[in-house]
Amino acid sequence: MELQKFTYDNRITRDFAMATIVWGVVGMLVGLLVALQIFIPEMNFSLEYTTFGRTRPVHTNAVIFAFVGNAIFTAVYYSMPRLLKTSMYSKLLGKIHFWGWQLIIVAAAITLLAGYTSGKEYAELEWPLDVAITLIWVIFGINMFGTILQRRVSHIYVAIWFYIATWVTVAVLHIVNSIEIPYSLMKSYPVYAGIQDALVQWWYGHNAVAFFLTTPFLGLMYYFVPKAANRPIYSYKLSIVHFWSLIFIYIWAGPHHLLYSSLPDWLQALGTTFSIMLIAPSWGGMINGLLTLRGAWDKVRKDPVLKMFVVGITAYGMATFEGPMMSLKTVNAISHFTDWTVGHVHIGALGWNGMLTFGMLYWLIPRLYNTKLYSVKLANAHFWISTLAIIFYAVPLYIGGITQALMWKEFTPEGYLAYPNFLETVTQLIPMYATRAFGGSLYLIGMLMLVFNVIKTAKQGSLVKVEEVEAPALHALPAVKTKSESWHGFLERKPIRFLIFATIAILIGGVFEIIPTYLINSNVPIISSVQPYTPLELQGRDIYVKEGCYNCHSQMIRPFRSETERYGEYSKAGEFIYDHPFQFGSKRTGPDLAREGVKTGPIYKPNAWHYNHFIDPQKMNEGSIMPKYPWLAEKDIDLKSTAPKIRAMKRLGVPYPDNYEHQANDDLLKQAEEIAQNLRDAGIETESTKEIIALIAYIQRLGTDIMKPQVEEEEE
Amino acid sequence: MSTREEKNHKQHQAQPEIDEVTNDQILEGHEFDGIRELDNQLPPWLKYLFYASIVFAASYLTLVFVFEDARVIQAKEYQKEMAAYLQEEEIAEEEEKAAPVARTQEEIMASGEATFSKICSVCHGKFGEGLVGPNFTDKYWIHGGSREDMHQTIVTGVIEKGMISYKNLLSERQIQDVITYIKSLQGTNPPNQKAPEGELYDPEPEAGTQS
Repeated sequence: MELQKFTYDNRITRDFAMATIVWGVVGMLVGLLVALQIFIPEMNFSLEYTTFGRTRPVHTNAVIFAFVGNAIFTAVYYSMPRLLKTSMYSKLLGKIHFWGWQLIIVAAAITLLAGYTSGKEYAELEWPLDVAITLIWVIFGINMFGTILQRRVSHIYVAIWFYIATWVTVAVLHIVNSIEIPYSLMKSYPVYAGIQDALVQWWYGHNAVAFFLTTPFLGLMYYFVPKAANRPIYSYKLSIVHFWSLIFIYIWAGPHHLLYSSLPDWLQALGTTFSIMLIAPSWGGMINGLLTLRGAWDKVRKDPVLKMFVVGITAYGMATFEGPMMSLKTVNAISHFTDWTVGHVHIGALGWNGMLTFGMLYWLIPRLYNTKLYSVKLANAHFWISTLAIIFYAVPLYIGGITQALMWKEFTPEGYLAYPNFLETVTQLIPMYATRAFGGSLYLIGMLMLVFNVIKTAKQGSLVKVEEVEAPALHALPAVKTKSESWHGFLERKPIRFLIFATIAILIGGVFEIIPTYLINSNVPIISSVQPYTPLELQGRDIYVKEGCYNCHSQMIRPFRSETERYGEYSKAGEFIYDHPFQFGSKRTGPDLAREGVKTGPIYKPNAWHYNHFIDPQKMNEGSIMPKYPWLAEKDIDLKSTAPKIRAMKRLGVPYPDNYEHQANDDLLKQAEEIAQNLRDAGIETESTKEIIALIAYIQRLGTDIMKPQVEEEEE
Repeated sequence: MSTREEKNHKQHQAQPEIDEVTNDQILEGHEFDGIRELDNQLPPWLKYLFYASIVFAASYLTLVFVFEDARVIQAKEYQKEMAAYLQEEEIAEEEEKAAPVARTQEEIMASGEATFSKICSVCHGKFGEGLVGPNFTDKYWIHGGSREDMHQTIVTGVIEKGMISYKNLLSERQIQDVITYIKSLQGTNPPNQKAPEGELYDPEPEAGTQS
């Protein structure tokens, strides 16, 4: 049979690999910064651009989309041509993909630090970047399917099944969660509000973990583990079963991020049960990875690549057991809003994603540069320091998370909260935070060892820009299933059909959960006294979003006695119908704020207290770890944005009166002057046009509507 | 090389290839860039784990959707928790009435100080020197300096000034203890005092403490 000549382009793989390393260092550095900021408030430098509420999203976005993202593309651009015996479909598209993605990352870091955020975790980027991501993702898709369609191998290998599922699901998640109405060049409001926004966001957030951090890495594992170990995959049958069950079940599990929230019980139940059903499909991946190493365990002892793979896959197994356990409401009642969750995700991030990426790079870089790894010893040291780092990182957060949850819940024998001052439960954690930061530094040191090793390796070799290869052409396959082939075998040589089936599998869960939440009114019972925000409160709310307050403060009181005693009546779905975006938060580094404005409630503070507290939290609460926000008292409210904001809200169905946008600033200034006067009475000289006034107005509005009589009344 | 079908055909009569290390069967025709796949079944325990998780899920969903069981519907869970607490509280109150516990002055002061540092100090300063809230160490009181007035202020709050009601946050005994502690701050003269506010209160008529 005649052989066709073609090439594998290693330059694009090298580019993505180098980007992985660069962004890995950046992401981990910022990670270390936020780990320090959380217990040393001075590390926020009293500057808006370097404050935790903005740096933390930079860390999460950098490690997820820049570090892990580029690692995924490295794996795809290296493994796919080889598994399909073809060049990548288009060099140009590859280049656009590479540079487009890197530009998005740079723009993301700049805009996040500048305060442009949608306020939705792991989807913080604003609408122009959302559009750019969509375009680049489509280009990636064209390049990927173009390659698949020009393959010289009849069937697509399991790694490619995972790449396909990744591509389509990330596209669906990103587009649906990012539907928003822009009101300026850089800012927008999401079309969803309150509970519905929360459901869509965590459907996205959970499945970003599933389809950005998990499925592409399973694809990576299915290629690089057998390659590095030189062993066959343990079970093809297991691949089929765990692939389909994983992608089908994963998509349903999002509501487990909203347990005990005001999300309807039926949705929470689906979140819990589908999470439990995820254990076996997830472990299917772990087993297929680990058992592929049967017969290679002697190599594992010596080879840092395999060692890293083993720890990575084991971390995956641990995290995918722990996750479902945390989805049980009894466990979640303790783990949610605490550092336990942070520990959990870092087992996945540092263990699974980090270790697999390091293993892949140590295997790949010498091959790209046609040489040996500069120092196996150093790679081994990297392995040990990273493993140690994960322990030092996670263990204190588990201890801290459980400690804090138990303190929140403890009552005195007389029936009062044992720790009524939230701050006491925070200062307790400071040694844990310090240990965690130490663990994080170890991990970063390991990463720097990799940088050194990679540079030395690249220098001692020379890049093999293209590999010349040859393979016979793929001749026409029968269009229908033949007798001798299995149903799945047939699907494996029909990639478009495969894509369609995968798309159906990942759509079902979302459709079943999201659509009824809109169509069935009982899911969000109406509370007639809940009214839209006043213009000043709306401006204040946008400042709350901009400063990333949701990174540390929740707005969701759970129906526990320990929470209603501490914060007031538990949160109801109907209270959030005008919240574009929702701000429930996922972590309580500070106390819940859902009823902060309720004067008869247990946490009310006067305007003057809030003013002083925003400017210098440590003055009001010695030992507070909240950053200072002095610029809020200096910067003016952007009055020009009021009208476009009101207009955008009206388009979203928020019932402001007709032509209200023209009157909005008058009302805003009136309300601001009242607050400023109140502050002056308390001895604080301030102008009414400052941002801090708007933020106080918003804070004092929080949770108050439900306390008003249940009749329609005009909002001032 | 050729497609999987042809290979299957070619090897039809031949023995299936065996992996030397594990003695497992290698799947014929499954070779991708040198990666081969074994024809192993799923580990049975994994299958049973999966079935068990499905049974759990079905049972749990039945509890939620069909029975609306109080263990899984959170509003009901909350009602149950609160009912149990209220009952407990009633019993405790009766016990306290039946046999009041005698306490020493040290115990009262320690309890008062604990409440003060957890709650009051946030607004009134660590030493009662005044912060957002007024100074406790001078002789001037905005809402009255007698035990009865202070009790009233703590129970009802002064909401326009930002002092919330502590009726549901502190027990009667904790309130009495913290008043005793605040009284003891008179004249301690800590640094950074807030200027006196309100009216002079002459503590003369009120000598002893009670509780």
